[in-house]
Amino acid sequence: MKLLALHLANVRKFAGKRASITGIGDGITVVSQANEFGKSTFFDAVHALFFEKYSSAGKPLKSLQPYAGGGVEVAADVQVNEGRFRIEKRFLSRKSAKVSRLDDGALIAQDDEAERWIANMLGGAGDGPAGLLWVRQGLVGLEPDTAKEKAHAMETRRDLLSSVAGEIDLMTGGRRMDRVMRRVGDALAEIATKTGRKTGPWKAASDEVDELKAALNKITAQVHALEAALEARKLAEVALARLDNPDAKARREQAFAAASAAMEEARAHAATVAAARQDHDLAALKSDSAQADLDRFLAAISSVETAQANVHAAAVRAKDAGDETQRLKAVMETAQSRYQDAVTVAKQARDVLDATRRQMAARKARDEVERLSQQVSKAETALRDRDIARARVKASGASPEWLRRVEEAGAEVTTCAAAIDARATTLCLSYAGAVRVTRDGQELPGDHPIALDGETRLDLPGIGQMTLRARAGDRDVSAGLTSAQEALSALLAPVGATSLSDARSLAAARAAAVTKEDLAQAVLDTVAPDGIEALQSARAEAGLAAGDAHDAALPDLGDLERALTTADQDESNAREALRTVEAEYNVARDATIRLQAAAETAQQMFERAMADAGPEDTRDERRALYLRQQAQAQKALGDADNVLKELTEAAPDLDTVNAEMKRASDAVEAARKERAHLNERLAALSSEIRTLAGTGIEERRDEIRGELDAARAREARLARQAAALTRLQSALSNERAAARDTYFGPVQQELKPLLSILHRDASLNFDSDSLLPSGLVRGADEETLDDLSGGTQEQIAILTRLAFARLFARQGRHMPIVLDDALVYSDDDRIIRMFTALTRVAQDQQIIVFTCRQLAFQDLGGTRPKVEIVDV
Amino acid sequence: MIAQEPRRPHVFKFIHSSDLHLGKPFGRFPEDVRARLRQARADALPRLAALARDNDASHILLAGDTFDQTTPAPNIIRQAMNMMRAADHVTWIVMPGNHDHSNATQLWRQAMEDAPPNVFLLLTPEPHALSADVTLLPAPPNERHPGRDLTEWFTGAKTSEAIRIGLAHGSVTNFESSEEGGSSVIPPDRARVAGLTYLGLGDWHGQLQIAPDTWYSGAPEADGFKHDHTPSALLVDIKGPRAPAEVTSLATGALEWRRVSLDLMGDVDAAASHAAALPALSGRATTLFDLVVTGLAAPMQRVALERAIAAASPDFLWHRADIDGLGLVHDTGDLDAIDRQGALRAAAEVLADEAADDSLPPDTRDTAQAALSLLFSYALEA
Repeated sequence: MKLLALHLANVRKFAGKRASITGIGDGITVVSQANEFGKSTFFDAVHALFFEKYSSAGKPLKSLQPYAGGGVEVAADVQVNEGRFRIEKRFLSRKSAKVSRLDDGALIAQDDEAERWIANMLGGAGDGPAGLLWVRQGLVGLEPDTAKEKAHAMETRRDLLSSVAGEIDLMTGGRRMDRVMRRVGDALAEIATKTGRKTGPWKAASDEVDELKAALNKITAQVHALEAALEARKLAEVALARLDNPDAKARREQAFAAASAAMEEARAHAATVAAARQDHDLAALKSDSAQADLDRFLAAISSVETAQANVHAAAVRAKDAGDETQRLKAVMETAQSRYQDAVTVAKQARDVLDATRRQMAARKARDEVERLSQQVSKAETALRDRDIARARVKASGASPEWLRRVEEAGAEVTTCAAAIDARATTLCLSYAGAVRVTRDGQELPGDHPIALDGETRLDLPGIGQMTLRARAGDRDVSAGLTSAQEALSALLAPVGATSLSDARSLAAARAAAVTKEDLAQAVLDTVAPDGIEALQSARAEAGLAAGDAHDAALPDLGDLERALTTADQDESNAREALRTVEAEYNVARDATIRLQAAAETAQQMFERAMADAGPEDTRDERRALYLRQQAQAQKALGDADNVLKELTEAAPDLDTVNAEMKRASDAVEAARKERAHLNERLAALSSEIRTLAGTGIEERRDEIRGELDAARAREARLARQAAALTRLQSALSNERAAARDTYFGPVQQELKPLLSILHRDASLNFDSDSLLPSGLVRGADEETLDDLSGGTQEQIAILTRLAFARLFARQGRHMPIVLDDALVYSDDDRIIRMFTALTRVAQDQQIIVFTCRQLAFQDLGGTRPKVEIVDV
Repeated sequence: MIAQEPRRPHVFKFIHSSDLHLGKPFGRFPEDVRARLRQARADALPRLAALARDNDASHILLAGDTFDQTTPAPNIIRQAMNMMRAADHVTWIVMPGNHDHSNATQLWRQAMEDAPPNVFLLLTPEPHALSADVTLLPAPPNERHPGRDLTEWFTGAKTSEAIRIGLAHGSVTNFESSEEGGSSVIPPDRARVAGLTYLGLGDWHGQLQIAPDTWYSGAPEADGFKHDHTPSALLVDIKGPRAPAEVTSLATGALEWRRVSLDLMGDVDAAASHAAALPALSGRATTLFDLVVTGLAAPMQRVALERAIAAASPDFLWHRADIDGLGLVHDTGDLDAIDRQGALRAAAEVLADEAADDSLPPDTRDTAQAALSLLFSYALEA
């Protein structure tokens, strides 16, 4: 079908008007009009013409009705294989449908028949391919807006694709395939992750295998330990039995007994040898003694004369030494006497000198006592004066400050009295006789003004009384005087003063006392700076030093000192002389003692020689005796030597005996230790065995082996199951993908060259449910359509329709593509590319483009139809 | 099997058993099943004692492997001895086996401490007088794999004119009768050569007669699927010095171990075959059932079999079904059950081709086959 012209009457803004588009071309026709022209009205009206029943009063149709109401008329001139026809419908009022031949106006069908004619022309029920191909204004997606339209479009696509490739469900397995796939997926998911890793029971079995392996290794080690312990115990028990074997034990004891006997025998022989050696040594001693006796006798004979000469010479030397010693002793005694005399003289000189010096010191001390006594007296006087003055000061309240205040009070009294005086009436009496005027019993002085205040009654002896009434004075001034006087009296009274002059006297007396105190303190500080007690103490010390001082005449100190020096020198000389002679005496005395000792020794040697030699007449006999004794001792020594030699040669090898004894003893000890060790070892092993065997580890090991076998079998079974499920999933996925490829092959084939105009080497994946593109594949990446930009989505939507339109065309079902203000989101470059795609398709496909973008769509080319709007 | 005969006076009558394997852990089974299995083995002792009482047997001879380990848990030993102590109407003769050989010092040391007066532990190859007229010649292994004939000394053993009974543990020469292989070597004619009236053997867990006078008693309680008969002990009746031993088998097992191999063909009703292979419903609660399915089955049959197995499994004390060995055989009609066309069908065909492709590694083919089986199962559910 191709559209040739469109006619609207009383549709929306064309109320009461007729609008028509004529001259629509075979390829691209661009209806380019400004906004509000009514392009969408044309689109919706033509859509209603083809897809709404004339009898319908649905919302789409009501939306076409203008505000003024009335019937809506839509018509299209079309060309189909059978010829050119006009299709007309009137909606909402005086509803009708009509198909007539354009060439002669012949009515082909009317109303319901006309609807059937239209449906056949469109290719079947529903919206037909037009619903699939037309693009409403602003539609960027692939799906229509309404569910009904979606369903129609879906059916149309399914019909189209099925007609070229077969039924999708039959090819992909449909919902049954989905259920099987889901079942496989669920079964696989129970035991493996999507990445093929174990999970669920498979992982549990695998983990169990690992755990059991570890447990088996551990318990196998324990079993080995138990086996080793059992074997060790067995060996230990064998060793113990071997140790306790009676024959072996008897052999060890016999060997030990033999070695002990040999040892005893060796010890006894050794004792015999030792006794023989003692005999031999005794004989040797006797022999030596006999030889010595002989030698001494012979030596004594030869040394008697020599000894006698030695005795004489020693006696002479001893006597000479004794004489010299006696001489030196006398000399020494003389020196001692001289020395004692010198000492005495020197002592006397020193004593005289010391006494003189002490007397001089005593006298000096006595003078010091005198001086200190004076000082003490002065200090005591000053102290007493100071204390008296201080007491006076303390007792007197007439301090300078007090006096200052008294003076001030006195001045105030004076000032007040002066003021009163200045105002008061005064009386001045001048007595001529002895009679005196009295007031209140008190005589009034004469020649002295007496102030009168108020009424004064005077007694005039012998005369009577006289009352004087003075002028009243200033009461304030009087009160001030009284106050001043009271203040003055208050100051004076505590100190014991009665008047100002009295106060001044007291103050002067106090000041004098202060001065006296200060003076006495100054004297005290000078005389006794460390206090009177210090002075008294010093005086007492000096008094002691003064001692026996007297006033007799004293020798000259210089003479005494010179005499002492001389005496000291004499003493020193005498002492030196004494030391010299003492040394000589000592030497001589020692020599005398030594020579006397030598003489005694010589005498002793002589006597010994004489004793050894004996009387001369017995010496031959004695020589013979000594010779016999020496020969006998020599023989006894030879005999003892032979005996010792024989015994020594006959003695057993003690080292060997010891070695045998040690070996036998060691064997017994080793057996004892080994037994103890084995018993300990057996106890330890038995404990270890009881511990290990107590848990039945061999049974547990075999149990774990069984568990491990079962777990391994379970893991293997699950592995096989996972492999089978994976293989099945893979086979199903592959075959379903292949089926889809086959199903969508034709539309992909049409779409590929169009898509390559915009996106080189790109392709679209189709969803088997919606039968629409689901993703754009560029390189290795697939993007879902929702993730693409609005422009790209819009372009893919149009290209997909172009591809479907070409599929229709290949079936001989040429259907126009109508685009209502499409490509609104595309940039300039993409619009040009889309124009290329449209132009490519338009070679054998009618495309009608409504657009308000007049300038942009100039590059699209195509036919520009005639648009007319006329009043009805 | 020896026929029961009327009771006659006898000289010596005893129960011969072996391979109790007390304390065997059964680790590959779930914990609750393990406990049942262990308890069943422990209960074998009072069952043997009851058989002795019921049959007037004075002795029970245990020919080795009373204990499963050389160092069982002390409570295992103590409880075993306590059970024997409780059965004081009978004398227990306990000889080591290769699992609890005589060099298991810790085991036998404690056993000797715990043993009551009616228990004799024969740890050395020395004659043991069972009565005035009967002498027992034991051949206790002293290690796990002796590898030699421990009964050789029987022949020269001096026992006067007494009835000689041999007791040994191991395999018989030229006969694969060892549970583990080569534990020891016993000549099949040892009883005859050594003048034994009876030679009781242990080690082989199934009951087996080697010679007229030589028997393996088998274990009183099964511990695996290896032996396909009811566990039992032997009642041995010797009526005189020259009389042959009369041997009677007495059932002892409390639990049944049943392994069933189901070899299916492509056109068989797998679920029906499975139902036919199942034991009676009443015995399933005390049965360990191990089903091994091999052969080929159509996908629908396999699905039906899996469902039948899943339905029957809870009946049993323990149940395992190995159907990995069951191959799929399918044709176009089977694949149609998945889908007649489209991706599901294509995937099924890819997996089927892969499973049948001999050029691919076995693992790959097995995986494809398992995937195809799953696809059948899931497609039928969908």
